[in-house]
Amino acid sequence: MKITGYKLEKFVQQLDRAIGDANYPAGDDLMDMAILSIETDEGVTGMAPAGNDEVAGLFHIIEGKDPRGVVGLWKGMVDWVHKGNNEGAVNGAIAAIDVALWDLKAKLNDEPLWQTLGAREGRARAYASDIGYNLSDDELHVFYSRMADMGVEGGKIKIGLNMKDDLRRIGIMNDAFRKAKDRPYLMIDTNEYWSPKQAIRYINQIEEHFDIFWAEEPARRWDFDGLRQVSRGISAAVASGENLNDVGQMYPLISQQAIDIANVGVGHSGITGARQVANMCYAYEIPVTMMNCSANYMAHLAAALPNHNMMEVVDPGREGAFESWDNHIEDGWIVMGNEPGLGIKVSENKINAMQAVDFGRKPGFPFPRREGAGLWIKDIEPGEVSWKN
Amino acid sequence: MKITGYSITLYEFPLNRRMGDANSPSGRIRGSSNLLQLFTDEGITGVSFGGGGAGPQIKSMVEGILLSEDPRHVTGLWKRMVDRAFKAGHDGVVNDAIAVLDVALWDLKAKYNNEPLWRTLGGSNPRVHAYASGLDSPLSDDEIENWYGQMASEHGFTGGKLKVGLDQDADLRRIGRMKKGLERATDKPYLYIDANEVWSPKMAIRKVREMEERYDIAWVEEPARRWDFLGLRRISDAIKAPVCAGENLDTLGDFLPYFHNRSADVVQVSHGMTGITCALQLADAAYGFELPITLGGSPGNLNAQLAPCIPNFLTLEVQNPAPDDGVMTSDIEIVDGWAVCGEEPGTGVGFDPEMLARQKVESVTASAGPSPFGRRPGAGLWDNPPSPEEAAAAATGVNGVHYVPAHGSKAQ
Repeated sequence: MKITGYKLEKFVQQLDRAIGDANYPAGDDLMDMAILSIETDEGVTGMAPAGNDEVAGLFHIIEGKDPRGVVGLWKGMVDWVHKGNNEGAVNGAIAAIDVALWDLKAKLNDEPLWQTLGAREGRARAYASDIGYNLSDDELHVFYSRMADMGVEGGKIKIGLNMKDDLRRIGIMNDAFRKAKDRPYLMIDTNEYWSPKQAIRYINQIEEHFDIFWAEEPARRWDFDGLRQVSRGISAAVASGENLNDVGQMYPLISQQAIDIANVGVGHSGITGARQVANMCYAYEIPVTMMNCSANYMAHLAAALPNHNMMEVVDPGREGAFESWDNHIEDGWIVMGNEPGLGIKVSENKINAMQAVDFGRKPGFPFPRREGAGLWIKDIEPGEVSWKN
Repeated sequence: MKITGYSITLYEFPLNRRMGDANSPSGRIRGSSNLLQLFTDEGITGVSFGGGGAGPQIKSMVEGILLSEDPRHVTGLWKRMVDRAFKAGHDGVVNDAIAVLDVALWDLKAKYNNEPLWRTLGGSNPRVHAYASGLDSPLSDDEIENWYGQMASEHGFTGGKLKVGLDQDADLRRIGRMKKGLERATDKPYLYIDANEVWSPKMAIRKVREMEERYDIAWVEEPARRWDFLGLRRISDAIKAPVCAGENLDTLGDFLPYFHNRSADVVQVSHGMTGITCALQLADAAYGFELPITLGGSPGNLNAQLAPCIPNFLTLEVQNPAPDDGVMTSDIEIVDGWAVCGEEPGTGVGFDPEMLARQKVESVTASAGPSPFGRRPGAGLWDNPPSPEEAAAAATGVNGVHYVPAHGSKAQ
């Protein structure tokens, strides 16, 4: 059993709707996507809905190796990039390779990845996430109601730029989820737009109106002092970590008790790295919440983590390259089936069709940081989003 | 694949050398173990060793949780067992039960995939750095040099761990003899020492500092009580060698004070810590905190199976290069000082049914049990060197005096 080659296919995906946050409330409906396939001499192929050109510089480490040794190969890659460190695009490439290797390992066992990872059941609790500062009140209501109809008991909303708008929009989310739960889980997310003290002032005002379950990225990703300060200054839990790359970067957040809930995801150096972060948090009694991803494939890992709380579901339509994917939301859980590996079937035809389209512009995601971030709050300007004139 | 039942079989065996530590310098000549078999509807059997005192807890866990479950779901089943033990905590015999069952579940998962466990866990290199551990308090100075010399020349070990703590002059001398033995393999052996919690923190600092004037010590193991995160930290701050600790902790939560206070510089991990599932959680956590992992002694050296998937793995404790109890078999071999896991599906550790039938017992005699000596009187308080009776018993060797109660204890 040997790794023989790889294929990286890049394309631009037209989403079903635009996504936007405090840094870029207008949002965008185009997204750069990639599919990484890792080939073996036994004809089995592993895939990851991720990847970038840095894969080329790493492939020699796994070439000719047994893909079932994924954790050892992960270490090989991380050690290889030692000097420049496991960050940025290199981190993205390591994560993509790691996911494809786990997909391979599960496929070789002819079992779904959640089972390879030892989960008893192929399911993970879900929460709804709008990534939708661009969405109108009506659109927000429709989105959260649709999720509530599937039994989802709470949601997260992008806020941070205008208190009056934010309170109204949190209320819309709260109302939509009441059909699923009397006191829905309400989460707010500002994507590092505030300073710690802005966060404390702003969230305390919100907490006069709503019982907030967690506040996400209320300060900069690395500011463990500030995140800790926010946590001590509000009632809600502080969640952070999604923009960090590995256990080493999570270390200060955990050891300084800067976060109450850890965002974990494929960005923590793949499934191997995300599991390390989750286990590190488990030792510190910190729950983890899995980041959103296309086709919710990280639910495989979430299902196997003893301290996993609930996973973010956005569902903006990032699955354009897939023939099918083997999960659905039921009674508030992401329920996975028994398809081998990640359970994703890729369509070469669909990829080819997307590659043939020229949108005439570059996708706006990932968003740049908004003016005023950490300093003053730059309100949403008239016309900046469809719902505000 | 579904779990259909289980069996446990206790057995005893003579040791191949007299073994003891600071709590039991007279040593012992008999040991015991427990074979657990977990049966499935696919005809595959999960095997693991340990939990001899946890029969009722094993029965409760199997009947209450594991029956009819798919052993490939081991991580989720582990969580169910741990949650079931919630109120009283998953330590002590409950921990032993969960640990031995968890190992059998992982054995089944790997066997079902027809692959060795190290590969199931995602390891890519089955070669695992190892050191020799004599459990050598009862051995004479000459025997120490001979044993470590043999480990070095015949098996290639470049490191050894000496039991210390009761007699500083003897310890200073004996570290030198271990070093001399190991020098048959390398001119710079790793010298580990282990006090098994017999010192107070300040006793440890005085004694280790004096040792460090003569030797470069690679770690000091359990120099204070297992839960004394403050004392362990103080020792680490005051000596050059890393403090190695954790082997008597049971759960991931037990390690939180160590992590938070950086009490241990090297973290001891074993499948005995609530199983392989918890051991790997612990290893990941330690990796995040930049703390190296050492794996403790284990039946047939099966802990070696965990090492290839632990990114911060340092070295594995080997008490016997091959199983010596007559019953156990292992395809984990020691080659040039490394433990090398084989290709046999599962943990690679099995048993000989004929020998098992011959050695099985209904119940284990106390002196062959897991800890017949208890904690030594005076531990952490005053010096309590081996008494003349203990020294005389130790000198009778592996075929000699069966059991001598610890100096200061009443006979059992």
